Amino acid sequence: MSTDGSSAAGGSGRLAGPLGRLRRHPGALAGLGLLALVLVPAVAAPVLALPDPALTAPAQRMLPPLSAGHVLGTDHLGRDLLSRLVWGARASIAVGALATLIAALAGAVLGLAAAWLGRLVDGLVMRGVDVLMAFPYLLLALAIVAALGPGLANAMLAIAVANVPFFARAVRGAALDIRHQDYIAAARLAGHGEPAILAREVLPNLAPTLLLLMTTTLGWMVLETAGLSFLGLGAQPPAADLGSMLGEGREFLTTYPRVAVLPGLVILVLVVGINLVGDGLRDLLDPRWSPAGSSAQRQGAKADARRVAVGGDAGDAEQPDGLPLLSVRGLDVDVTGPAGPLSAVAGVDVDLRRGERVALVGESGCGKTLTALALLRLLPAGTAQRGSVRHDGTELMALDDTALRHLRGRRLAYVPQEPLTALDPLFRVGFQIGETRRAHGTESAYATAALVRMVGLSAVPDLLRRFPHELSGGQRQRVAIALALAHGPDLLIADEATTALDVTVQREILALLRRLCDEQGRALLFVSHDLALVAALCERVLVMYAGRIVEDAAASDLLRQPAHPYTAALLGATPELGQPQKTLSVLAGEPPAPGARVSGCRFAPRCPRVQPVCRSAEPELVRTGDGRRVRCRFPLEDGA
Amino acid sequence: MGGYVVRRLLLLVPVLLGVSLVVFAVMALVPGDPALAILGPYATPERLAELRAELALDQPWWRRWLGWLAGVLKGDMGRSVSLERPVADAVLERLGPTLLLAAAALMLGAVLGLAAGLLAAFRHNLVTDRLVTLSVLLGISLPPFWLGLLLILLFAVWLGWLPASGMVTPWLTEPGAALLTADVLRHLLLPSLSLALVAAGVIGRIGRGAALEVLAADHIRLCRARGLTQRRILLVHALKGVLARVMPVIGLQAGFVLGGAVYIETIFQWPGLGRLLVDAIAARDLLLVQGGVLVLAAAYVLVNLATDLAQHALDRRTAAA
Repeated sequence: MSTDGSSAAGGSGRLAGPLGRLRRHPGALAGLGLLALVLVPAVAAPVLALPDPALTAPAQRMLPPLSAGHVLGTDHLGRDLLSRLVWGARASIAVGALATLIAALAGAVLGLAAAWLGRLVDGLVMRGVDVLMAFPYLLLALAIVAALGPGLANAMLAIAVANVPFFARAVRGAALDIRHQDYIAAARLAGHGEPAILAREVLPNLAPTLLLLMTTTLGWMVLETAGLSFLGLGAQPPAADLGSMLGEGREFLTTYPRVAVLPGLVILVLVVGINLVGDGLRDLLDPRWSPAGSSAQRQGAKADARRVAVGGDAGDAEQPDGLPLLSVRGLDVDVTGPAGPLSAVAGVDVDLRRGERVALVGESGCGKTLTALALLRLLPAGTAQRGSVRHDGTELMALDDTALRHLRGRRLAYVPQEPLTALDPLFRVGFQIGETRRAHGTESAYATAALVRMVGLSAVPDLLRRFPHELSGGQRQRVAIALALAHGPDLLIADEATTALDVTVQREILALLRRLCDEQGRALLFVSHDLALVAALCERVLVMYAGRIVEDAAASDLLRQPAHPYTAALLGATPELGQPQKTLSVLAGEPPAPGARVSGCRFAPRCPRVQPVCRSAEPELVRTGDGRRVRCRFPLEDGA
Repeated sequence: MGGYVVRRLLLLVPVLLGVSLVVFAVMALVPGDPALAILGPYATPERLAELRAELALDQPWWRRWLGWLAGVLKGDMGRSVSLERPVADAVLERLGPTLLLAAAALMLGAVLGLAAGLLAAFRHNLVTDRLVTLSVLLGISLPPFWLGLLLILLFAVWLGWLPASGMVTPWLTEPGAALLTADVLRHLLLPSLSLALVAAGVIGRIGRGAALEVLAADHIRLCRARGLTQRRILLVHALKGVLARVMPVIGLQAGFVLGGAVYIETIFQWPGLGRLLVDAIAARDLLLVQGGVLVLAAAYVLVNLATDLAQHALDRRTAAA
């Protein structure tokens, strides 16, 4: 148990605000460093002992670097290159930042007006934005400079104006989001006027978005103003920014490359710095952009793959036909948290016989889906599994990718929870069935037509030519079942396979699953949160709580008399048909988070029958007299 | 599908109207007398009056716009004062090279960007991912005009492998078609690469994000549960998903490539619309600017229509309605 994991997680949560976290972001740190490299001299330019950047000295033209008094040498007019770079950077940064500020302010005003002042204003602003965004903004900037005449201030203005539509559109979107939030409605109900709401509720919530937009666009703004200057439309001699220096240096590219190359290098360093800091800020301010899914997370799974635990209570040791179909021992699943692995599933020991229908039941977040995926070794990135999973005597943890692939889909099949997202939305049904049938070299057990008939989709016209989104939820789930059945697997693992469906369709799918398992002697592991539902389908029920199996019993026994207090609580919260008077009890409290420090029974904090001893050590999953297994010191008994 | 294309093409009309109106309005803000600006301080009063009449400067700018519009409907985009020839002729003559440059840059950028993005996401390898992330960052931070100069310096000046300017070698007399194509391609490589590397940065960045998103999607897990090979999952299922997501970004990059052509054509002396525009702006040749911007805007809108259609072909859920 990673009990110390939770304390570490708490520690990192207390770390200082966003700025503190920015300091721990390596990219942002590097960005700040690069930015400082350009920014510090640029800001300090007036107090640095640099020669006058505009002082020409024809006798000293094109001095090489490290000449006396000129560290980087001189340009074609004998001006000090270093001084010109520093002052040029100063100008470039200033116009870039100013252009960003102007564009952001104007865009924010327009965007807010569009979002807040009703349909007419919105329509006008957005049509204007559409037109302006319909052609490359650089051309718009060029036209504006053409109108205003060349000059650094005009170039800055042109770039700012050309980027206003971008800001207006983004701010409008964000403002519309905010507008539909509950706290705005609450402020209205409280009688606050619109200006007060704008000032107190909207602007503070808009500020991070605007800041983010500004940092992510500052880079291009610098590039674009430099570009206009490069074309001779920006800074006019003797004034210079990095872009105009580059433009002037171009003439001497072949003879004195450094005069053109150095200003470009400074622009690059500046913009890389800005973009790195912008990315860092985005990671911190916008959770959607968090750098999740990094490849490092996968490492854990590989390292643990060969660690196989043995032993443990077999559960159903006395098999009538010998070897169980699926045998799980000591299955642990860890989820990588911000402060190391957290235990999400621990010590699962279970056997499934051929043709047996077993339910795995528990609240959402209890680890049942992770358990189901671990049986197929299909856990997502950022998780690691340990323990032993044997299918028909074959240890899955010891298989290589190819062997595992041939087991999946051929012998072990998976029916997903949400068939809308689980079927590939970009491929026709027929394509997906066809590739599944051909996935294992040999022909599949069933022909396409037979599969379609088996899942009851023969009546759907043009089924194979359709895309998943052209089917109803029930039809999609039937397609997913057809995919699972293609090779006649001996175990179906259905993960909340009916949860996303409405009640009538749910019943049809359950009946289908039951028939497919009955007729073809197929085992089923049915994962669900709905105890009443599984009782109708499965022979045996596994109840899971906080990552552990707490009860394992025949469905009929369990319904008649639950042994674990948690099972009883689950049953108490289930409405029963024909018993409208039944009082539904609601279990108080919440299950412990994965990896939370719980000494003793993990259900103890919520258990109505808790005793002091329950809090000292965790009980084992023990076999009781009637053949069930219970993880409780004081199980409920008949008549209790 | 056909109806959708027609409707999108019809949408081109208000957009181009809007664009021309904006350009006209902006150019009308020019302080001072355009006729004086064009002819210079030593022009005779008669010539000035003549040019003012020719440019219809006595009328308000919107009247001039309406007049221009009536002309465009008849295929007449006016007459360029600086080139002393019809705007339509000058623009059409320069359109081909710009489209060639932009198409090459966009395709190169899309291929490089997608390859980089997919590599970073598919290879579960920290080093590859970091390398790609770094090069993508460099790509989006590079000033394309500087990159162009560096490429000239390296490949034309120092190594002498490729020509530094122009589209065709001038002394290539009586070239055969194959020789001419090869010559143009040699000239095309550096300018298109200057634009492509920047576009590849943006496409690679979006592509990597899209690939990570697709790989984490439920349907990829089901692909694995179905026992499909890793190769098939990546090259059929994930790739199509990434392409569908990246397509609109490629369309947007057409805007960068067409706009950036202004720099690159100037640096490489490429005989395209971008250079024509810079010259026209310097000469305050309003009608030429107007014509050039309009044609580039139309090209941009059409490219975006094409990428939208491609996205729809890849992902039928995106509305073609």
